[in-house]
Amino acid sequence: MSATATIEAHKDSVTPAAQPQAYHIEAKGLNKAFGKVKALEDINFGIRNQEFVSVLGPSGCGKSTLLRIIAGLIPYESGAATVKGEAIHSPRPDIGVVFQTNNMLPWFTVRKNVELGARIRKMPAQARDQAVDKVLEVLSLSKFADAYPHQLSGGMRQRASIGQALVLDPPILLMDEPFGALDALTRDKLNVELLRIWQEHRKTVMLITHSIAEAVFLSDRVLVMADRPGKIIEEVVIDLPRPRDAAATRALPQFGEYVAYLGKIMGVTS
Amino acid sequence: MSGVSPRLVAYAQVVLFFGAFLLFWEYGVRYFEVKKYILPPISAILVAIWESRGQIFEHSMYTLAEVLIGFIAAVVVGIIIGMIVYVSPFAQRTIYPLVTALQTTPKSALAPLMIVWFGYGFVSKVAMAFLFAFFPIVVATLGGFAGTAKNLEEHFRALNAGPWTTFTTLRLPSALPAFIDGCRVAMPLAMIGAIIGELVGSDRGLGNLIMLGTASSRTDLVFGCIIVITLISLVLYALIEFAAKSVWWRGIQV
Ligand SMILES: Nc1ncnc2c1ncn2[C@@H]1O[C@H](COP(=O)(O)OP(=O)(O)O)[C@@H](O)[C@H]1O
Ligand SMILES: [Mg+2]
Repeated sequence: MSATATIEAHKDSVTPAAQPQAYHIEAKGLNKAFGKVKALEDINFGIRNQEFVSVLGPSGCGKSTLLRIIAGLIPYESGAATVKGEAIHSPRPDIGVVFQTNNMLPWFTVRKNVELGARIRKMPAQARDQAVDKVLEVLSLSKFADAYPHQLSGGMRQRASIGQALVLDPPILLMDEPFGALDALTRDKLNVELLRIWQEHRKTVMLITHSIAEAVFLSDRVLVMADRPGKIIEEVVIDLPRPRDAAATRALPQFGEYVAYLGKIMGVTS
Repeated sequence: MSGVSPRLVAYAQVVLFFGAFLLFWEYGVRYFEVKKYILPPISAILVAIWESRGQIFEHSMYTLAEVLIGFIAAVVVGIIIGMIVYVSPFAQRTIYPLVTALQTTPKSALAPLMIVWFGYGFVSKVAMAFLFAFFPIVVATLGGFAGTAKNLEEHFRALNAGPWTTFTTLRLPSALPAFIDGCRVAMPLAMIGAIIGELVGSDRGLGNLIMLGTASSRTDLVFGCIIVITLISLVLYALIEFAAKSVWWRGIQV
């Protein structure tokens, strides 16, 4: 398994954004503190165009903080964070974010909730309706379009939250433990759905998760973080064949090896 | 009693209870020979209401107008102040503590002052209704805005939503349940404010009629006025309850 050396090698070869292998998302020597608490220290990583990268780490190691910085939601002290070579200072229209909490407005139906981003971004009505229909279809929520969030199961709400980001068809998708609150079975199902969507639409994805199996199953690369202060301690390239398939991929011996290896790094005996 | 629905039994209980209460009132005062100017029998009160119906109606409309205008003014000003305090840190440091401090002053003590400022007539009573209704509304509105879920605010920020969109789509609907709660408390208070104002000094209104009734030992009329005030308050409260139904997402978390 390749270690941080890979990322270093790539970084050296990167010159401006036009290159196909150029990083869509990049952090260099990034630091972030909340008062005296060092949340992130010297973060270096890059995510290429259409690459699926997961970030694994213990609770409180700064994963959400990192995602918020990339999303342009909070400032950072030093170092650089760029999207398509541009320094991040505010939320960008080409980034969709799925948060840890599902962010449905209780007074809106599922359709209205999914539509929200498109309305805010002033997408023309016809295109918007089409986009919403398609997203609801893809996420198997068409039948629940007129239901209110509190009438949905946790899994459906989480799918709708993903729909809220997908409706704008952003080339970059940041997801913060989107399945964290779900039971294992629902989570597995949604993993498969997410994989299918990604294989179809090929977005640049940064997925934060605490599930090792989820990270291995979905990702091209996994970044492992440690806490106090939050830093990236390991980078693992997941060299499993694509397109992946739920049963076949999980049955591969390498799948188990990756899971075991990551478990060892993270101090979990599995 | 088989076959009788529990609901019917519950209704029967309520009717029986109040029926018994009224009968006890009616015949109790006679049996114990309570003086009419202390506590008239309920029938005498109803007769007094009926006989003075024209007068009571006129004074009721006057008081109702005071209450409604005072209440609506409290809603408008309460929302505006609530919004200003929510968006401006300066107002948060200055106006908010002021409002909180003023909230604790006994509003009834301000009635004579209102009469000095706004005269004997209509305006001073509107001011009293306003003073009583204003604080619960402003405090509730502030609580409503402050209670906007942080994750939803961040979600809107991530979508690059402008301040107006964020306000109308997120903050306002979030604050509505608390705001309605504030109105629920404020509506009866507006009535209390107006009546206190009328009792302290007025030439019209149900409070004024109570003063006249007391001066001429017409306790039946006084009770009549109290019943009418209570009925008006109940109707106004029911209107708020009705409006509250449209804010059905109260307490729903997703
Ligand atoms: N807004 C904030 N203010 C102060 N401290 C914060 C804030 N957000 C996060 N932190 C702190 O930063 C650290 C990392 O938090 P977070 O990024 O949420 O971790 P994770 O998502 O990996 O669980 C934690 O110690 C947390 O308490
Ligand atoms: Mg987190």
